[in-house]
Order: sequence, then C-alpha cells, then structure tokens
Amino acid sequence: MARVSRIMLADVPTLKKEAKIEEAAKLLSKTENGCVIIVDDNRPVGIVTELDLVRKIATGRMNMKSRLSEIMTSPVVCMTPDMKLDEALKMIDTKRFRKYPVIGNGTLVGLVTKNDIVHAISDNVRLHRAIQNIVLILFVVFELFVFLLYKPLINYLGA
Amino acid sequence: MIKAKNMMTKEVITISPNSSVLEASKLSTSKSVSSLIVLEANKPVAVVSERDIIKAVLSKKTKVRDIMNKNFLTISPNTTFYEITRTLREKNIKRFPVVDGNKLIGIITETDIVEATRDFTRLHQIIQDAILAIFGIATAFFLFYFSPLRAAVFG
Repeated sequence: MARVSRIMLADVPTLKKEAKIEEAAKLLSKTENGCVIIVDDNRPVGIVTELDLVRKIATGRMNMKSRLSEIMTSPVVCMTPDMKLDEALKMIDTKRFRKYPVIGNGTLVGLVTKNDIVHAISDNVRLHRAIQNIVLILFVVFELFVFLLYKPLINYLGA
Repeated sequence: MIKAKNMMTKEVITISPNSSVLEASKLSTSKSVSSLIVLEANKPVAVVSERDIIKAVLSKKTKVRDIMNKNFLTISPNTTFYEITRTLREKNIKRFPVVDGNKLIGIITETDIVEATRDFTRLHQIIQDAILAIFGIATAFFLFYFSPLRAAVFG
C-alpha cells in the first residue's frame, strides 16, 4: 500500500499568523488548493479554507484588514508522510475534514486532500486486480496440467 | 454500470444572475454547498463556486452576473461514471449540472464523484475476494478428490 508521501502536494500555500484576511483571499483566488496553511516557525498551527472565508463574507461584516487568526481553524489535524493510505482514509472518516497538512520532523512538508487519497486507493485496487487476474489464469493452467497428469504420474511412481 | 442519475445530488441550489454576491455567500453557507447553479429562464447558464465569491469580494464586484463562471459542462442523466471521472481528470472541470432535456434535475460535484469512487472500489474488492474464495474451495476439492487421501477416508 502506498504512503501519504507519494501523493502529497509539496508546494503548499502558507501564511503567518499575523497575516491579514486579504492576503489569504488573494492566495486562495490564485491557487487551486482551496486552503491556506497558517504556520508559526514552519509548524502548521491552523488552516483557512475557502469555506471559512465565504462564511465570514456571508455575515456581511467582512473586514479585509483583520487578522487571519480570527477565521482560521486551530489547531489543525495533521498527517505524517509515512502513513499508509488506508490509515489516512480511516482518519479522514473520523475527523471529517477534507484537507490535511503533512508534518515530517515537526515541520510542514506537504498537503493531502481526501479526494487525492480516494483516487489513489482506487487506482491501487485496479492495479492489484489486474495482477491478481494474471496470477489466477496462470494458476488455472497449472491446475489443469496437474489434474491431467495426476493418474499417469501416480502410476509411474508406482503408488 | 453507475450512471449520473444514480450518483447525483438531487437538491440543487440555484440563484439568479441578478442576485447579489452577499446573497450567494449566504445561500452557499446556509445550504452547505460549494457551488451554486445560476439559472436564467429555467436554464443553467453558469456556476458560482466559493472561489468565485472570494474573487468577487477582492475585486469589489457585487452582482452574481459579474462573477459567474460560464466554463462548465452539463451532462445527461445517462452519462456513465467512467466518462465523468475522465472529464474531471482531463479537463479539470469539477461541477456538472445534470440536465434532462432542458430541465435541471441534479448536480454532480467532486464530492459525489469521490463517494462513488469509494463505493466502486469497495465493490471491486468484494468481487475480487469472492472469486479468490471460489477458486480456493474448488482447488481444495479437486486436490482432495484425486488424492489417495480420499480412498483412505471413504474407502
């Protein structure tokens, strides 16, 4: 089973805790990830998603100059690079978030999303199935061969 | 084969192009959806995502008409799962309004596709295990049938 490090995104948009909401909005509108990780000394301390920002907009009291810490989700649930994909999926099912920063040696090294993990597992299963089919066919051929030769073989050995 | 009509979300949240961006943001948070469909004369003409709303606030636009995204693809209820996942991966389009004739009957988002992929993967694994089990039992039976052990046990 593949590990988180194989599918994680290494280029993560980050901002400092002291940053303004405006900077996060600009970053979100430019990148495809849909989230910004808030770091303190390269350690993830929070996360701001598009949804967090839209929620703030919906209140009608959006101030672009206020601190990002006002709307961020903190603390943030993280994964490690050596986690197996099915473990990661189990974690997602219990935590119910979509995006997870990846921490290696205490610093931010990447970002994984639920979607990436599900698609990676699906590809993995498809590959396994192809391999298993080939093994099965070889096995059947071998079995036929053995069954056809079984009696002559026994006779030959004098059993 | 799974088709669009089996995996779509039937409750579509729609908005008019004349609505304000604030209304759009309120609608998408209160209904917890990541995208709204813009309807004009009962026909889907565009989509508005969370990102579009954020961009609107940055550029100080206030009408849905000015921010809506016309780069979307409608699909028929009979489009297959494979076609949808292929389009998602190749064209990077993440929202598909499902249209029957001219009528909007549902929407397929990335979340729906991911859930369907999970169900599919699970189904694949169950079929795989079943085939292996059948082969295992058959092999054990044949080996026993042809072996001297059978004669020893049943005479």
